[in-house]
Amino acid sequence: MSENTNSVSRRSLLKGAAVGGLGLVAGSTIATSSADAATRLKGSTVRWTTRGGGATGDKIAKAVNDAFAKKTGAKVVAQQVNSDDFQNNFAQIMQGSPDDAFGWMAGYRSNHFGEMGLLADLTREINRLKPTLPTSAIKGATSPVSKKPYILPTTYYPWALHYRKSMVKEIGMNPEKIDTWDDFIKLMTLTQKKGLVGYSLGAKGGWEAMGTFDILNARINGYKYHIDLLNGRAKWTDAKTKETFKYFAQLIPFMNENVLDISWDGMRDLLLQKKTGAMMMGSWFANDFKAKSQADYDDLWVVPFPEINPKWGIDSIDAPLDGISVAANGKNVAGGKALAQFWASPEGITEAIKAGDTNIYVSKSFDTSSYDSFNKQKLAVLGSAKNIMFFLDRDARGDFAGPVVGPAIQSFIKKPSDINKILESVQAQWDALPKN
Amino acid sequence: MKTATTSKKTRSRRSLSKTDRFTLSAFVGIPTLLQILLLWVPAVVTIFLSFTYWNGIRLSDIRWAGIQNYKTIFLNEPLFYEALKNNGVWLAFFVLVATPLGILLAYQVDRGIKGHAFYESIFYLPVVLSLAVIGIIWNFMLQPGGFVQGLMGLDIGNAISIWGNPDINTWVILGVASWRHIGYIMLLYLSGLKSVDPALKEAAAIDGATEWQIFRKIILPTMKPVNIIIVVITLIESLRAFDLVYIIYGSPTIFPLLNLLVFQNFAGQGLSMKGAAYAVILLVLCIVPIITYLRIVFKEDLK
Repeated sequence: MSENTNSVSRRSLLKGAAVGGLGLVAGSTIATSSADAATRLKGSTVRWTTRGGGATGDKIAKAVNDAFAKKTGAKVVAQQVNSDDFQNNFAQIMQGSPDDAFGWMAGYRSNHFGEMGLLADLTREINRLKPTLPTSAIKGATSPVSKKPYILPTTYYPWALHYRKSMVKEIGMNPEKIDTWDDFIKLMTLTQKKGLVGYSLGAKGGWEAMGTFDILNARINGYKYHIDLLNGRAKWTDAKTKETFKYFAQLIPFMNENVLDISWDGMRDLLLQKKTGAMMMGSWFANDFKAKSQADYDDLWVVPFPEINPKWGIDSIDAPLDGISVAANGKNVAGGKALAQFWASPEGITEAIKAGDTNIYVSKSFDTSSYDSFNKQKLAVLGSAKNIMFFLDRDARGDFAGPVVGPAIQSFIKKPSDINKILESVQAQWDALPKN
Repeated sequence: MKTATTSKKTRSRRSLSKTDRFTLSAFVGIPTLLQILLLWVPAVVTIFLSFTYWNGIRLSDIRWAGIQNYKTIFLNEPLFYEALKNNGVWLAFFVLVATPLGILLAYQVDRGIKGHAFYESIFYLPVVLSLAVIGIIWNFMLQPGGFVQGLMGLDIGNAISIWGNPDINTWVILGVASWRHIGYIMLLYLSGLKSVDPALKEAAAIDGATEWQIFRKIILPTMKPVNIIIVVITLIESLRAFDLVYIIYGSPTIFPLLNLLVFQNFAGQGLSMKGAAYAVILLVLCIVPIITYLRIVFKEDLK
């Protein structure tokens, strides 16, 4: 069902692009005068793209955009697009007639396009927000190559082990204490005994299972090895990498049989319908639990992935940093920058949270004591790690992560015994990439 | 064939008036210009780009790569061979099963078997849907949590793996694609059959020919122009397959096809000129058999 809506929104994306194109022809005569920001924005149109998020995403966007419109007198035209499609066609969209501002991702995904001149330099905006932003977030949003920020950091979330407290209680375990590898295996075994899925995984889109690989590799071989591996300084054929896949193979018997048929939303539905013991996923999906019912949301819990190698403990985590970027080719770059800054400011954040956003904001202005218990737990999970990774497809170059590592993990899940052959192929494909 | 038309043209050109000549050159010239501009220029640019490294953003970043993109594809990409296999199976299935089935149906409908109008509309129905819509429909039916899985009492957790299971998905996808292709071929063939003179068939029947003999010796040869179209369509449909699978998977890696790999390597952050190299490989695979086939057919005509 949900895949079906995805396909539909794929088409509405195109339709949206067409309508957007027409709209731009009509409203493209907005002069960029040197008058002060407020008067310049008044009456101008700023275009905003919400990247996925369904009804909740639209609701949050409307709340923040309306507040911005009220404050500045600008008109905000918003659309929602399918997240994967927007991502896959990003370079083309940014070179066409993109919306002025949109939710986007830090790391390779914004740095690369910023350096290529497709995203606006947001140095001035990030400096204005400096009093409220922690240095780590500013560093995460800044390209190490050009030293410029192309994204205003707003939220981040942990990729960690999620489960439902009620289900863990039912199998006779303590939901507050799932913290060793043995606990984890026991949780999966007992859930599976009840005829449910022990560890749910999806890999239809090619990226979902990267989260499991990231954390296993970081737990077994440490943060440095993981980042080295993704950037070609360590080898995929190394015994250390193979060790990671040995652990990955241990999880396969606990998984649903249709890993390659479902995507992240299928995984979410499995947990929502109480059909799985545990899953490794980014906490962003909690918004959908809250939208379903407060009881479902209260039942949801998250803990760090358990320690495997005592040398590293639980010192690393995938915590992708999200934020707002501005298209350099937008029709209203100044308006886009102002809107982006509003989204990342304490004012904008307050609006988003009021509208039901359960994300954790990086902004220091926000009083974390008002967080609900799930968000406090998310903060605790994030705080347990000292090394922050951004997720495989943001830590590695784009022509490698999606086209090479994604299919390799899919092949591994199809036939785990082929792992040596698969890893040799991954290394060969890395070696064949054009190097600068 | 070619020489025949040109000599005819030279003969008739003398009698053309000025307006005629203008109209003719406009009718020939504008499509030719569009064809060159929209088809041949991009094709040549693609061929050039397939020998470069580029991420598709700034022209100044283009670097010469020689045959490296092709080398990578042929030597290091397991997906390429999987795609080649899938396209090959697709082609074989269409040639051996779907297309003959369409022809058989057309023949039966044309013979006026009982309820032929009913069958005709039933098999024709999927043809009005685009493959993208067909993908949405069948994905909705067969995916975990989908309609068919629900009927079988399976929820997302224990749903049968259909799209993800390499032993099953090929046949399901080919079945779905044939669902439309059979009707399409039936329709094409039916329109041809209507123009076959029934007297020919009757004469053969009186001479004692069996049904199979009539089909082979009378119908097939008289239907030659339609046969050519059907062979070419079957070839092209199999090699250019894309939309159905893209809609079902959203990513090109579980059931790779050449066209999906072209797309993947041209899309988003993964953009590299490996995509152009894939496009050139696909172009060669499409054009070579079709040109060879057409040349053989037209040569026979000349004789």
